Amino acid sequence: MKRLTIVLAVLAVLLGLRPVAAQTTGTVSFRYAGHVVRAPLFGSRVELVPVFALLGATAKFSPAMGTWGVQLDNHMIQFSPGLRVVLADGKLAEGREAPVASPGGIAASTDFLDSMILSPLGFHLERVADGFRITPGGRRGAPLTVRATAADFSTTTTLVLTMGRPAMAHVNETRPGSVTITMEDASPQLDRATVLRSRRIRGLEPTADGLELSLAPGIGLLSWHALSDPPRVILELGPKAAPPTSAPQAAPARRPTRKGVRPIVIDPGHGGKDSGAVSGSGLEEKNLTLAVARRLARVLRRMGFAVRLTREDDETRALTDRTALANRLDALAFVSLHANASRAASVRGAETYYMSLDSASDATAAAVAKLENAAGSTARSGSELDMILWDMAQAEVLNESAQLALSIQRRLNSLLNLPDRGVKQAPFVVLTGATMPAVLVEVGFLSNPKEARRLADSAYQDQLAGALATGIAEFLRSGR
Amino acid sequence: MKGRFVLVLLALVAAAALAWWALRSGGGTAERPREAVATPSAPTPGPGQRIMLLFPGTDGLLHPELRQVALPTDVDERAMLIVNELLAGPRSGLLPAVPWQATLLDLFVDDSGIAYVDLSGPPAPLAGSNVELMVAYSIVDSVLLNCPELHSLQILMNGHEIPTLTGHLDFSRPLVLNKRFISKR
Ligand SMILES: [Zn+2]
Repeated sequence: MKRLTIVLAVLAVLLGLRPVAAQTTGTVSFRYAGHVVRAPLFGSRVELVPVFALLGATAKFSPAMGTWGVQLDNHMIQFSPGLRVVLADGKLAEGREAPVASPGGIAASTDFLDSMILSPLGFHLERVADGFRITPGGRRGAPLTVRATAADFSTTTTLVLTMGRPAMAHVNETRPGSVTITMEDASPQLDRATVLRSRRIRGLEPTADGLELSLAPGIGLLSWHALSDPPRVILELGPKAAPPTSAPQAAPARRPTRKGVRPIVIDPGHGGKDSGAVSGSGLEEKNLTLAVARRLARVLRRMGFAVRLTREDDETRALTDRTALANRLDALAFVSLHANASRAASVRGAETYYMSLDSASDATAAAVAKLENAAGSTARSGSELDMILWDMAQAEVLNESAQLALSIQRRLNSLLNLPDRGVKQAPFVVLTGATMPAVLVEVGFLSNPKEARRLADSAYQDQLAGALATGIAEFLRSGR
Repeated sequence: MKGRFVLVLLALVAAAALAWWALRSGGGTAERPREAVATPSAPTPGPGQRIMLLFPGTDGLLHPELRQVALPTDVDERAMLIVNELLAGPRSGLLPAVPWQATLLDLFVDDSGIAYVDLSGPPAPLAGSNVELMVAYSIVDSVLLNCPELHSLQILMNGHEIPTLTGHLDFSRPLVLNKRFISKR
């Protein structure tokens, strides 16, 4: 609370010196889908509110917070007058200049409008004779080779589009059975070797500005997400009608939002080049965590929860990408799965971690100190500031993370019947910046031969998944 | 959810205001007196000083080992002595603090009380969060417990900042004392 008070006090000071555009210097036209608006110009800046109205986006200013929020479809963009940073779908981005307060609300350069607001909303700005045209999708760009692979599971199909270079992707189900995938500043071309074998996919064809996916009858786009290293887009396809849930108590505390059902994000630790810990008999942590994650996802889905894995296969994945995915999906909870190793073979048992904010326990004081030191040299302050702010984001949910950790650890203890290694706190990278209850579970020690044998057993992996799922569900249904 | 994002955004607003303030007050921060690194409570040198070192035990937790050493007054020298004592290994039945033949390449303390400990890195990748936690907190806790004028410590390897050691703990920032990994028994 102290932190919030300081922040608000500082905000009050800031409101007095917020830059304002007052003098209109003309108007400029914006065209979109056959409609035209003329927006007032203030030098190089343009009034944004008419543009949002043209797109059919909801734009709201919160006077108490001093922030603008623009919502369209699944997207939420937040920004403030006088600040270069924008929060687009939960991700911080920094523009070249800041928007300013204006008579009509807020004004910014067309560059800011294009790159910071329209682009995350899935549009781009094109200069035309008497103004600008807003076009869905990205700019026509250089050819981009895309390799497509699909895997059929019992009720869903996962389609992975691996891109030759990073490109911002947008995926939309334009009509039943048809999904368009556009990639900004790129003209996607399918790798010639691509042969899709899936009973739920009819075809995948390049179009003028992207790819068009045709699906089998009754199949639709369930969800999609983008990942880096290598850059790719992952589409989850399946029957559009929700599968029936059997038990009546299986109705979870779903909290539908504009974005639909919020998933639980399960992170199978390590992967690809990073094997993690390896047992004496050769069981690799990356394979164990994926096996348990898949089982856990199955159990949670049976309980009625939506679930997403940060990796579906044996893939290298940056730690920060894992957290970013959970943030972007506005996950209900983030659970990173690991198996431990110790130099002492006797160490065994499970433990659950949540974030330790020791290094920024008084985040505001730390932020102030950093800024005082960095006021003259801005070079290194950006990422440090981000770190502090992300710490603060996790600080907001730290109590919930602790509850989630306790709930999981309790279940693991009763399953494992081992001395309780307990709930602990540590500044783990994968928990940094998570904006939802987030924990890291070490399901056991691969360095302990007896425990490694047990972890390798599929029946035990099922038990583990059951215990984890129960712990997670108990937390989510505890009516927080 | 949205509230949290708003808080982050609010913090950004606050941060910008503070930066603006600091800039406008014309280097006022430079005039602020620095906290003295050596405090009067620092131990005086002598042969009879007892230090507490923390080594991993066979339970995956840290355990204390007490030693008598001549402790330098100067904080960097004291921190250096602690790290070298740790690297020399345990004398009881505990495990080495660092599971490879590490040498202390450099150690320096900045104005704000952060110690930077530069070690030679492991010859091969290590695994397990427990391994990582034991390396980090045997060093961090041993140094900070014996050097109360320091508030945090960052471990570098071969002269470089490292993101993490085995893929869990954040090594990219200074770590503070974390007594959660010290055995209660
Ligand atoms: Zn791990």
